[in-house]
Amino acid sequence: MKLLDRYNRVSLLATISMIVIAGIVYYFTISLILTNQVDKDLLVEENEIFDYVGLNHRLPQVFKSDDLKIRFTAIPDSTIVRRIADSHFYDDQEHEDEAARMLTSSVRVGAQLYRINITESKVETDDLIRMIFLITLGLIFVLLVVLLLINRTLMRKLWEPFYETLKQIKLFNVADRNGICQVDTRIDEFQDLNREVTAMSQRVLHDYQSLKSFTENASHELMTPLAVIISKLETLMQDNDITERQGALIGEAYQTVDRLKKLNRSMLLLSRIENKLMHDAEDIDLQDTVRKKIIEFQELLADKHIVIREELEPHHIKLNRDLLNIMLNNLLGNAIQHNRPGGRIVVQLTGQQLSFCNTGTAVSLNQQTIFQRFHKSPESEGTGLGLTLVKQICDNYGFALSYAFNDQLHCFTVVFVN
Amino acid sequence: MKILVVEDEAGLRDSIRDYFAEGGNVCETVGDYASALQKINMYRYDCILLDITLPNGSGLDILEALKANHHPDGVLIISAKNSLDDRLQGLDLGADDYLTKPFHLSELKARVMAIVRRKSFNGNREIVFNEITVDLLAKQVLVSGMPVKLTKKEYALLLYFIANKSKVISKNAIAEHLWGDEIDISDNFDFIYSHIKNLRKKLIDAGSGDYIQSAYGMGYKFTDH
Repeated sequence: MKLLDRYNRVSLLATISMIVIAGIVYYFTISLILTNQVDKDLLVEENEIFDYVGLNHRLPQVFKSDDLKIRFTAIPDSTIVRRIADSHFYDDQEHEDEAARMLTSSVRVGAQLYRINITESKVETDDLIRMIFLITLGLIFVLLVVLLLINRTLMRKLWEPFYETLKQIKLFNVADRNGICQVDTRIDEFQDLNREVTAMSQRVLHDYQSLKSFTENASHELMTPLAVIISKLETLMQDNDITERQGALIGEAYQTVDRLKKLNRSMLLLSRIENKLMHDAEDIDLQDTVRKKIIEFQELLADKHIVIREELEPHHIKLNRDLLNIMLNNLLGNAIQHNRPGGRIVVQLTGQQLSFCNTGTAVSLNQQTIFQRFHKSPESEGTGLGLTLVKQICDNYGFALSYAFNDQLHCFTVVFVN
Repeated sequence: MKILVVEDEAGLRDSIRDYFAEGGNVCETVGDYASALQKINMYRYDCILLDITLPNGSGLDILEALKANHHPDGVLIISAKNSLDDRLQGLDLGADDYLTKPFHLSELKARVMAIVRRKSFNGNREIVFNEITVDLLAKQVLVSGMPVKLTKKEYALLLYFIANKSKVISKNAIAEHLWGDEIDISDNFDFIYSHIKNLRKKLIDAGSGDYIQSAYGMGYKFTDH
């Protein structure tokens, strides 16, 4: 729920309930006042009757008026409790019942006791109350409209800097070098928020950059010592009197150093792709490139007796040739390496996507970890960065990379969504 | 062949010299910018191996000096930087090839041989090793004058072997030479073994000597003694 809505809801509810309570209080007070007024009228009428009877020793002439009725009824001797109560009043002109007050009293004329009923209509009172209600309702309505309008325009305008800052936070990405920029506002809270967020983004960027440059420099500095080790081992290999055991040891050391070299190279490459240092995209005939790549791997396929099926439609794409090469090498290399002897590979290229499917283990790989850095299958001795590189390249160009396992085929699919 | 190695890392410099210095090759080495400039102003080389990052100077300046004086020396840049810009800049300035550290000495040798072959004016388009002749233009291999049908990879492998004859070449170097260095299949060298087996069989069937030998756990050697 938005802050604005929340605030609106509370303030509107409070306003409406206040008005409703005020309305109820109004109603009762005004009812009471008006009823009292009517009661006083009734008493005045009664007094007039008493005076008349006292003076003339007979009942007065009864006049019919719009809102007052007086009725005398002869009754046997008894005590009549004098009281005022709510009653009805039948309006002869309007032909309808109206709410009224009735005073019941008694008067003695000679030996005969009469009951007096004086009824006064409360129709005007009700009208008044209705008016008050209507006015109150109108007030509520106008208030709501005004509040909503104010919120809609003013509040939206007021919150603009907040949403601007929020938008920037959403778009913030450590890999792009642009931080969060100043938002122009005169409201202190938003100024504070924006200032702190800007400062924080700068700190994050700075930390990320220094971490990255540390990684790059470290990888870089490692290259020369690695070069020396490799060259020394190669020189050592040339000795003519190496025993079999020494040869095996040198070979193992060499393999390990070579792996270290590959790892280092991949890490440098990763950070370079991340830094968007691989530009110069060119228009590439993907169908032709994939076809050539498969021919390049022909011997490896033949060596494992893998049958490869190509379903390639023509498709052109704009990207860096070296990166495409790395991507295809890794995808096809994996499809061969993790395949079983005599297995199958299906390579599909359409206008939307490129997929490599291969037979291999009978169980699906873990979707969550498969593209993580340094994650590799237990039997693989690679660097574990191959798929990470592919993923990074896809991210770089806005392609989607996904893995699926269906009818015994492991499928890696690159979707070109630009 | 006359080679100059310009490299500030002594360990690497010596290894390169040791690897190249045989069979009548002359290999000189320098470790800094000033002596490198001196050398290239005084002598001519078939190929100069040039490190870009030198103390108190850049290898690219040496390359520019060479080109400014129209010296015909072949130049191979060796650099720890693998950024495309560096590579392009080096090649734009007129370097013949570019190799990233760390490299295999056998790869370096093969690249240098290729440069020297391209540079040689006597139109030497053939490489001969005993009864094996490689016709570089036709990309064809002849054994005692009879053509042998090799796959692309086998052909590349044979050239690599001949460029590094009598040297032990590691399986890693062979794998990288044939499939590039981005491919992450170094954990499985069986396919290299089957390539080598096929090449050896084809050559022997065509009547050549058995020159490919295995060097324990280290790699292979192409030699006639």
